[in-house]
Amino acid sequence: MRLMVIRVQRRCVKPSDFVNFLRGDLTSVIEKLKSLKKVGPNKSAGKPNGNMLYLIFDNLELIREWDKSSTALSFMFNLYDVLKMHELGLIFISNTSPDTYYSNMGYTEHVPVYFPEYTEDDLRQILMRNQPNRKLYSSFLDVVLRPFCRTTRRVDELSTAFSPLFRKYCEPLSDLASVPNEEMKRRLFSHFRPHIAPSLNEIFWVPSKSSTEAETNKDTTRKGSTRKSEVGDHFAQIDFHMSTSAKYLLISAFLASRNPATLDASLFDSTGGSDSRKRKRKASEKSIEQKEVAEQELLMKGPGTFPLERLLAIFQCITSAADSFDEDEHENDDLRAGGDGGLMSDVLLQLSSLCNANFIIKGGSCPLEGSTRYRSTVSEDLALKVARSLKFPLPNYLYRR
Amino acid sequence: MGIENLAEKAQILIRSRLCSPNFIFKPLSDSSDSNYSKLKFIISSSIMEACNNSILLLGPRGSGKVAVLELVLSDLLEEYPDTITVIRLNGLLHSEDNSALKEIARQLCMEHHLLFSKMASFDDNSQFMIAMLRECGLAHKTVIFALDEFDLFAQGKQRLLYSLLDAMQTVTSQAVVVGVSCRLDADQLLEKRVRSRFSHRKLLFLPPSKEDVQRLLEHILSLPMDSSLACDYAAEFNEKLQSILADKRFKEIISNYLNSNSTTNHLLRFLFIAISNMELKSGFLSLENFKAALSSIQRQPKQECIKDCSILELYILVCMKRLEVREQNSYNFSSVMKEYKSVHDSFPTSDYYAQNVCLRAFEHLLQRELICFTDNRGHSQSIEFRQVKLVVSYAELQEGLKSYRSCPAILLKLIDR
Repeated sequence: MRLMVIRVQRRCVKPSDFVNFLRGDLTSVIEKLKSLKKVGPNKSAGKPNGNMLYLIFDNLELIREWDKSSTALSFMFNLYDVLKMHELGLIFISNTSPDTYYSNMGYTEHVPVYFPEYTEDDLRQILMRNQPNRKLYSSFLDVVLRPFCRTTRRVDELSTAFSPLFRKYCEPLSDLASVPNEEMKRRLFSHFRPHIAPSLNEIFWVPSKSSTEAETNKDTTRKGSTRKSEVGDHFAQIDFHMSTSAKYLLISAFLASRNPATLDASLFDSTGGSDSRKRKRKASEKSIEQKEVAEQELLMKGPGTFPLERLLAIFQCITSAADSFDEDEHENDDLRAGGDGGLMSDVLLQLSSLCNANFIIKGGSCPLEGSTRYRSTVSEDLALKVARSLKFPLPNYLYRR
Repeated sequence: MGIENLAEKAQILIRSRLCSPNFIFKPLSDSSDSNYSKLKFIISSSIMEACNNSILLLGPRGSGKVAVLELVLSDLLEEYPDTITVIRLNGLLHSEDNSALKEIARQLCMEHHLLFSKMASFDDNSQFMIAMLRECGLAHKTVIFALDEFDLFAQGKQRLLYSLLDAMQTVTSQAVVVGVSCRLDADQLLEKRVRSRFSHRKLLFLPPSKEDVQRLLEHILSLPMDSSLACDYAAEFNEKLQSILADKRFKEIISNYLNSNSTTNHLLRFLFIAISNMELKSGFLSLENFKAALSSIQRQPKQECIKDCSILELYILVCMKRLEVREQNSYNFSSVMKEYKSVHDSFPTSDYYAQNVCLRAFEHLLQRELICFTDNRGHSQSIEFRQVKLVVSYAELQEGLKSYRSCPAILLKLIDR
């Protein structure tokens, strides 16, 4: 088989032009292949005796999201009949099964070749490749492979999860090239065991510098079940470098998405504090039911949308509340700097950077005015962490708390 | 020559036969009643009598319409050299009038060694086509228009069809329009003014009968005695083949396969896979080859997807099924998580994972299209809150769980409720 790299760039809009260009280019490539082929002595029967050109289409399922997907797909599938070139072969690679391409027009069936997901044995063989110490890695896989395969069978996800775990597994070993015997395996397992359960619940753990330092300073007698919350504490402390005003904006967005707009007046009164007195009412049977229904609805609809004005109003309320709470914090100078005009432009800039980070997304326009509405995408956990870092009493402002 | 070598040569020979439509449909040319003969008669008579004609070839996809047309055209090109020009259009590419006329002009230019200008406008091309038709008519040359996917030309205003058929009637031209379509009612799609100019000749391509299938199988799979293959090998091959073809189980396999789609192309695909399965060591076809081909073509795609799922993904599917059974027709990932939690509360297992792991499993299911979103509003909500539904039926899910290796017993219990 010969591999040639040919770069052709042409712009065509119509399928008829595409086919003409394609036919011309393919013919020239085949001519080139024929001329390069050495004219040798009589070939034996087993050797291939022709020139084939394969067009490979990857990620075919993405075509279904195109505008004219039905004609595009029929066109792709019938490309062989349209071009009528014997040297052409078509290979389609798809992540979805063939029945997702059935259409009532123009569907031609192809020879299916199915690639099943790897079994546990396949995964073991794949992960063992290129390992310097195969026996050691094999004993590691004996411990982790089966529980992890219950959540996912994808090689990339498993190998991402296994590399830090293997390092942890080998920690008590002084010599990484040693072959473990039964005694050693038991010791390694008992050291490693508390780490299995928490790591099953993580998708992607990027160890940052401060967290690894904190790990080494940690008391080693702590139980493994608290490890998750420790990571959480580190997380809130690490804070991915958000400025204070950005944090307040994030919390305001979360509140705006979470609470219905009608509650704003009662929650954010002129002093900026929440009036929790009103809410302590005796909960009757009906109101408990209503609250459950409301909770169900909240679960269903997800975070709501809000216009920019509401976001800014809430932002101003809680920052002024923060002013009144911590007057001797020096951060207030940052907030007050530049006067009201400065604060506004700062906020809009922060809003766009939060949108870029996908903490806030555009949720569709208001039907009456046409202005864009936004939606907050942070989880309650993250909002609480951010609020805790600011020492802001977020739970007091949450509806239904 | 070793038997493997011979088997390989036989395999190559049969596979090349399966890929050439000429070989498959040639035997039809013998019978005078076949579509091949009728089509050839119509076109050749219009060539000889110097008149216009139009005809539709109709039949399910894969019945060999275009193959027969190509056979007829190649035979006619041999019989009447220099008197026929063939213009080929395809409805998938040229349904728009502009591109269709451009393509007609381009092909006419290529045939008659004229320079084709890409900048020519629609009117230029149209006038050129009419002029060429007149010239060809005066020179007693026939232009044959082969319109594939004819029903796509009948969409919209049908300008191309009208201008073509109108030109044929007004100008002294000799043109034959052959339309090929998979829609059996393709002629009903034509507008009144187009239909009046179109003759009502139709040729139906029916799927082959049982005898035809048998004859076709023998024709394709029997090795010729006079080729480069050793005579005794070919004879033994054909003998073994005959015993397979006569076998009742083989007939059952074939009729089972052709039940879903009885067109010739469908059968050819099956034979291709069966021949590729031939064991070179033994050197001969066996019934097992055909059985293996049947199971590799007739698949249960959703079952295979379910078999590929991890156990957490199965949990999510079962929770979604339970929500649907409770007639909660609109639910999203958060509701599924709630159900997952309640299942775990009533039957505590070690398979209770955090939300982010479950979300990843949920995304895998979306990618495999076992579940899908019900809203097409776009992506203004994150995945956890968009409404989803199951795409796989309950019976398939149940079947898949039963055949899943090491499926947790709790899932089987839950799905039975």
